Amino acid sequence: MKFVWKLLLFVLLVLPTTILVFENGNSGLVVRAEEGSDPVEGEDDDDDDEATVETEDTETAEGAAVTEGEKTDDDEEEEEADELLKPSPDADAILLFTKPTGTTDLPAGHLVRFLVGFTNKGEQDFVVENMEASFRYPQDYSFYIQNFTTNTYNQIVEPKKEATFDYSFNPSESFSSRPFGLTVLVNYKDNARNPFQHAVFNETVNVVEPDEGLDGETFFLYVFLAAIVVLLLVGAQQLLSTFGRKHLTSKPRPPVEMGTQNSDIDYDWLPKETLQGMNQSPRRSPKQSPRQRRNKRATGSGEE
Amino acid sequence: MMKTLSACIVLVFVCLSGYNAEDDSTARLLASKNILNQFLVEGRDLTVEYKIFNVGSSAATEVTLKDDSFPASDFEILVGSVEVQWGRIAPGSNVSHSVIVKPLKYGYFNFTAAEISYLPSEDVTEKQVGYTSSPGEGGIVNSKDFDRKFSPHVLDWLVFAVMTLPSLGIPFLLWFSSKRRYDQPKPKKN
Repeated sequence: MKFVWKLLLFVLLVLPTTILVFENGNSGLVVRAEEGSDPVEGEDDDDDDEATVETEDTETAEGAAVTEGEKTDDDEEEEEADELLKPSPDADAILLFTKPTGTTDLPAGHLVRFLVGFTNKGEQDFVVENMEASFRYPQDYSFYIQNFTTNTYNQIVEPKKEATFDYSFNPSESFSSRPFGLTVLVNYKDNARNPFQHAVFNETVNVVEPDEGLDGETFFLYVFLAAIVVLLLVGAQQLLSTFGRKHLTSKPRPPVEMGTQNSDIDYDWLPKETLQGMNQSPRRSPKQSPRQRRNKRATGSGEE
Repeated sequence: MMKTLSACIVLVFVCLSGYNAEDDSTARLLASKNILNQFLVEGRDLTVEYKIFNVGSSAATEVTLKDDSFPASDFEILVGSVEVQWGRIAPGSNVSHSVIVKPLKYGYFNFTAAEISYLPSEDVTEKQVGYTSSPGEGGIVNSKDFDRKFSPHVLDWLVFAVMTLPSLGIPFLLWFSSKRRYDQPKPKKN
């Protein structure tokens, strides 16, 4: 009984102090330990974290509900060693992919579009200057693979107001089927021209092969293949028909009338003119003509 | 014993609710404004599309979209209205609205953002105001220049045809006249 009361007292003292320490994050040690893994304080992120929306912010480790934790020391950076711009505690940003929706698998060679919503929770105006995106090496986010064009907005966002910014980029065709670290940075300034930078999106995405339907090239490729097949068929048919024709025509040919083959013909009784006429006409059989000539010469010289 | 147990439970709930206190389910709207035309030409239709996405965890109510960036001297609104209202946008859903305007002047025009206002949750009375994305500066082309590039030029082709008639017609007439002389039926000799 007494023990339970003591326990209760202990809990009453310890719990509030831990809450205070965690939410304010004054101490660097606490921040480092919390590094985005605290399940309770990350609840707000989880609520917003539908399939399409990422509110990841690796530059502020202690994501206490809505306000960004204030960073007082510089050596809390997780990625780069040099001094970096940090987000302002009075501003919040959220990212949503509008094309393609609901996934971080980006089709290579196609336009990717997203919207970034910027909220001004403070009392001063903010000027959102520009937004840039880049592809980084997924294992080392400080290694830039590709920088995309920086979109300049220079839009003033008054206190308690929100603004939306549109950005689009095109991952190159040669990047398909590879994971990349995509970093989207929003640069903004407050009234005192202090620069701030917010990494709205800092995660690994997959660039995938786009699922192309029927395009011109593939259509004509199929037409070409069909034409080749038809050509082969026609060629085969021609070959077969010629072979068939040879077989067909050689058999039923009737025996050609060759005429008189007998070469022992006596031409002596014929007059000279007729023999000459016979010699000039086309020969029936080559065997006859030399004999004819010999006979004719013999008779001619004989008679003369 | 029961008292202490219940006290413990109450304490635990208080602590947990302390974490949840700032995590209200609120609506968060992202609005985009885009020009769908590839070419902006004076005197031809220009389509503006507004899309509003709710990325929050609760529905946004009394959503109003108002676009004052098309002054009546420079634009004529043909289809749609520049002031739209939606009663409720559910979480995770989006709505879209299109307006067709006609630019009356040519030159560079800076397309600025429109304003939206909504109630992020039921217990909030003050409306949250935001800006849509702005399409940026666009060049509205003079209709004469656009036609010079893209119109079918029917009249120009007709004039061209008429002007080429002499260079084709004169040789044809010469040939035709000499051919005609040989077309008469010849008297047959027999």
